Amino acid sequence: MLTVKNLSKRFGSLTAVDSVSFRVQPGEVFGLLGPNGAGKSTTINMIVGVLVPDGGAVEINSGGSPVDPGVRRNIGNAPQSLAIYGDLTAEENLRFFGRLYGLTGARLRERVDWSLELAALTDRKGDRVDVFSGGMQRRLNLACALVHDPSLVLLDEPTAGVDPQSRNMIFEKIELMKSEGRAVVYTTHYMEEAQRLCDRVAIIDHGRILDLDSVDALIDRHGGISNITIELDPDAAIPTDLPGRIEDHFLRLESDRPLEQIAQISARGLVFRSLHVERPDLERVFLNLTGRRLRD
Amino acid sequence: MHAVFTLALKDILQLWRNKFGLFWVIAFPLLMALFFGSIFSGGGSAVRTMKIAFIENQSSDAQAFLAELQRSEVLDIRPMSLDSARASVARGRLTAYIQFIQADARQASVWSPSKDSIQVGIDPSRKAEAGYLQGLISQAYFARISRKFTDPQEFRKEMNRSLESMDSAYGLSAEQKGLLRGAFTQLDTFMSSVNAADSASAHAGNPFGSLNLSFTDVANVTVGPRSSWEITFPQSLLWALIGCAATFALSIVMERTHGTYLRLRLAPISRLQILAGKGLACFLSCVFVCTTLMAFGAIVFHVKISSVVLMSLAIISAAFCFVGMMMLISVLGKSERTVMGSGWSILLIFSMIGGGMVPLMFMPPWIASLSNLSPMKWCVLAFEGAIWRGFAFADMILPLAILWSIGFVGFFIGTIVLIKSES
Repeated sequence: MLTVKNLSKRFGSLTAVDSVSFRVQPGEVFGLLGPNGAGKSTTINMIVGVLVPDGGAVEINSGGSPVDPGVRRNIGNAPQSLAIYGDLTAEENLRFFGRLYGLTGARLRERVDWSLELAALTDRKGDRVDVFSGGMQRRLNLACALVHDPSLVLLDEPTAGVDPQSRNMIFEKIELMKSEGRAVVYTTHYMEEAQRLCDRVAIIDHGRILDLDSVDALIDRHGGISNITIELDPDAAIPTDLPGRIEDHFLRLESDRPLEQIAQISARGLVFRSLHVERPDLERVFLNLTGRRLRD
Repeated sequence: MHAVFTLALKDILQLWRNKFGLFWVIAFPLLMALFFGSIFSGGGSAVRTMKIAFIENQSSDAQAFLAELQRSEVLDIRPMSLDSARASVARGRLTAYIQFIQADARQASVWSPSKDSIQVGIDPSRKAEAGYLQGLISQAYFARISRKFTDPQEFRKEMNRSLESMDSAYGLSAEQKGLLRGAFTQLDTFMSSVNAADSASAHAGNPFGSLNLSFTDVANVTVGPRSSWEITFPQSLLWALIGCAATFALSIVMERTHGTYLRLRLAPISRLQILAGKGLACFLSCVFVCTTLMAFGAIVFHVKISSVVLMSLAIISAAFCFVGMMMLISVLGKSERTVMGSGWSILLIFSMIGGGMVPLMFMPPWIASLSNLSPMKWCVLAFEGAIWRGFAFADMILPLAILWSIGFVGFFIGTIVLIKSES
């Protein structure tokens, strides 16, 4: 569906994107995870053909260039900044963008209705967008990217500044897109979102992909050990040869195989009052890869 | 073209919803035309009157002369004493006063009626009004004499007075006096058979033919505006064009700053199509607003368009010129504030020297020369050419060619700068 090969872009002395390569398959949600200024949006803009790369290539649907209008018809993009017209209604926005992609007549009506439903804005379709809440505008921004029924969808920080309800709704729509077989490229600096939605994630910083794999694989490789806290029965005797350290009646230990470790302790007949396992996440992966936190 | 029209319709819809933009595009130019048109026309399209005093005089000749003066629509006459009239003229409340001084009745006759004298009091600096008033007075005075001639009763009184003078005249022999008396008697007999109505209707054939002063309407062949509205409406068209150019230039910047331009760029259309859509929206808005304002001026204020074809060409050319200027203005900066500030500044300066504020015809020569550098001057010239300058197509070629050239150059440079700023 999408192949990015050694993509590079410089702005003066700044290397915004440095030899970025990845592939995205139909029905896959691919995440670009990195802090602000890491090169995610620049990469997206080169994928959609708005920016001309200094090096490398983008191929869509087996060799098509995004500069080709025929190829662009298959791309839907929801930019990070709201790319909708505030003085038009939701329906007018969708009709306008649908027409730009060549939709007319019954097909246009059908897609506009579908998009309004997707954005849960059917009952507000005649209202001007500038009276919408931030979440509604974000949903419309997403719907405008999908009105022409693209097979490749690029979502650049689609949940920036939205309320939890709208965020969940956007997540549901992305999962729907995935189930429909669309390829989705999702850029975010929220590791929770990448962890929840993405089949594979590329960790990007200073324009370079540091690693790329499934979330579990990335955590296994770079997440480090899990922190385990077991609250033991204070009335029972606590063996002194347990791994980790005992603080009061809490056993604290670190392990790269937490489930096996817990099973071994439990096999010794100890009674657990509570158990807490803090598994490493993408935040930890990023920290271990770059020495910085995602939101630094 | 489908995409270009889609883009243009969207922009026009946005303009229609933008009340602030609409004010600058339609309401402000119209207010300019109405405001300055009213000032220059003295309050309306009605004939402007000259207020004068007529020094009180109860004699029949003075009253007859006054009656003749009052026939003029242009004069607003107030009878008053000489002192009051002098004071009013001196203070500028009245333009002038007229005093009718009747000649000695025994000396005046139908053959020598010019013994009466008329004095006019007027500020010597008001030369134009003085000349105009002189014409009106002459018209009224000779009209009065003409009536004397054509009224049989008046004429017979004059003849009797002449017979009395003849009897006492020296140097005439008795035979000559007898011949003249016979002639006058026959004339008197003839006049007594003529009634006044017949005489009036036969006025043109009066054998004594008094001064036959008459006016015939002749179309004004000199070049000049027929009313102040014909000056202010071309200016209002210019302001409408400025409003359109500024509004659409701002809309391009807003597309860029709000991210919608990026989404347009992602659509399967070329950059040229996007800009053509903007240009088309600006062009159609310019043409629509100019046509609406011109139609309003023609219907309500009787602005007479000498050539509709040339006017259409002028509007189309001016609209194209402003599309180019709109593109240039849109790339003056990357923020809305920069483009609005610098764009309006440039447009206002061009407008100032180009006839948008002071009409071209009132400009001192050095500014008139400077105005050649302003696209606004060529717009106004083209509009005025089609309205009152009496331009033929050949006269229009230069302003139209300049407007199209500016449009092309502006659009080209604006597009290049926009493309460069994106890469």
